[in-house]
Amino acid sequence: MNHLSEEQIVLHYYGDAEEASEVERHLAVCAECRAEFARVQSMLQRIEPLEVPEPALGFEEKTWLNLRDRLPEKGGFLQRLFGQQQKWALAGAMALLLVGAFLAGRFWPRPGQQIAQQPPAQVNPQRVVLVAVGDHLERSQMLLVEIMNTDAKGPINFSNEQAEARELLDSNHLYRVSSQQAGDPQVAHLLDQLGRVLAEIANGPAEVSPEDLQQVRHTIQSEGLLFKVRVVGSEVNSKVRRPELSGGSVNQRL
Amino acid sequence: MEVTDAAVVAQVLAGDRDAFRVLVDRHSRSIFRVIYRMTGNQQDTEELVQETFLRAYKSLERFELRANFSTWLYRIAVNRTLDFLSARKTHMQTKDTYQIVDQPYSEESNQVQLPTSTPGPDRLLLSSEMKQKIAGALGLLTPAERVAFTMRHMEGRSIEEISQTLNLKASAAKNSVFRAVQKLRQQLEPYAGPGSSTRGARWGGSAVK
Repeated sequence: MNHLSEEQIVLHYYGDAEEASEVERHLAVCAECRAEFARVQSMLQRIEPLEVPEPALGFEEKTWLNLRDRLPEKGGFLQRLFGQQQKWALAGAMALLLVGAFLAGRFWPRPGQQIAQQPPAQVNPQRVVLVAVGDHLERSQMLLVEIMNTDAKGPINFSNEQAEARELLDSNHLYRVSSQQAGDPQVAHLLDQLGRVLAEIANGPAEVSPEDLQQVRHTIQSEGLLFKVRVVGSEVNSKVRRPELSGGSVNQRL
Repeated sequence: MEVTDAAVVAQVLAGDRDAFRVLVDRHSRSIFRVIYRMTGNQQDTEELVQETFLRAYKSLERFELRANFSTWLYRIAVNRTLDFLSARKTHMQTKDTYQIVDQPYSEESNQVQLPTSTPGPDRLLLSSEMKQKIAGALGLLTPAERVAFTMRHMEGRSIEEISQTLNLKASAAKNSVFRAVQKLRQQLEPYAGPGSSTRGARWGGSAVK
C-alpha cells in the first residue's frame, strides 16, 4: 500500500492538501501514517507565535517624526490633473526644460563677445538629456567608488551615503524615462540597474556592518555596474563635447 | 465618525503630507507585530516599520481607494521584510537573535540529548531551552520559507493570501510552507523523544494519489 508523502501530511495539517478526502480515507486505515501525522501535529502545535514585545509608549510619534522629513511632497493639483501614467512624461519634460535652461545660460553670448554667424540654435533633446545624464553618472560613480573603497572593520555610519543615494535615486527615475524618450534604451537600461542599487543603499539601515557593506559591494560587482557607469559616463561626456557623435545609442558596446 | 483610511489617502494625495500621520498612528503597531514575528529583533523591526510607511507613501498613487489599506500595507511590510531578510541572510546566521542550534540532527545526538534522567519530551519541549531551539531552527529557514511559514503557521493566513502577498503561485507558496516544516522537523524531532519519525528514508517516495 502506498503511504502518504511527508508533504501530504504537512499540508493536511494546515488543511491545504489536495485531494483531502483521499488523505482522510488513507489516515483512517493506515496506522503508520496516522502516527506520523500525530508526530507532525505534535511538533507544530508546540511552535507558538513568537512573543512580540509591546513597542514603547510614543512609538507612533517616534515613527512619524523619523518619517516626516523623508516624505516627498505629493503633486496635489498637478498630480491629480495628469494622473500617474503621465507623471513620468511630465518629469521628463521638466528635466529637458531644466537642462535646456542650463545650456542656454552656458552658451548665451556675453556682452562684448564677438557673435559668430551661426544657424539658429536647435536644441537636440537627446543631447540635452546626455548632459544631465553625464553629470548624474559622474556623481553616481563617485558614490559607488566611495562604497567600494570604504574600509569597514566594524559597523559604520552610512547615513551620508544613504542621503546621497536617495537624492540620486530621485533624479535617476527622471533620467531613465528621459533617456527612453530620447531614444536611448541602453542608457535607460543602465539607469534601471543603477536605480536598483541606489534603492538598496537608500533603503538599507543607517548603520551597516561589514557584512552588509560586502553585500552591497557584491551587488555592484556582480552587475559590473561601476565599469558600465564609467564607460557610459565617459561616452556620454565625449558626445556632449563632440555633438556630431550624438546620433544613435551611446552604449552599443555594453 | 472616524475618517476612513481611504479618505486619508485621498487627502495625502491631494497634497496634505501631514495627513499621513493618521495612517502611521492607526497602523504602526500592527505592522510592528507582523514584522517582529519575522525578524525577532526589535531594532530591525522599528526600522522596517519606518521603511514600510515610507514605501507606502511613495507608492500611494498605486493604492486603489476601494481596497483595504491595512491589507495593502501588510503586503508592503511583508515584502520589505523579505527583502531585508534576504539582504541580511549571511549576517543573520551569526548575529541575529535566532542562533544556529548547537547540535544538528543525528542519531547519536538524539541519544545524547535524551538520557532517561532528563525531563520527559513534553516538559522539555515547553522549556526555554526548547524555545531557543525552535528559534534556532527558524533561523535556518530561507527568508522566503520563514516568511511563508510565519504567515501560515503563526498568523493563520491562507495559501491564497500568502501567494498574493509574495506574488507566488499557490503551489510555490505551499512548497515554501512544506519545506519550512520539513527543515523544522529535521532540527527539532531529535529533541522530541523516542516517538520521533522513523520514516525518514521513505519521505519523498510514493504518495497516495
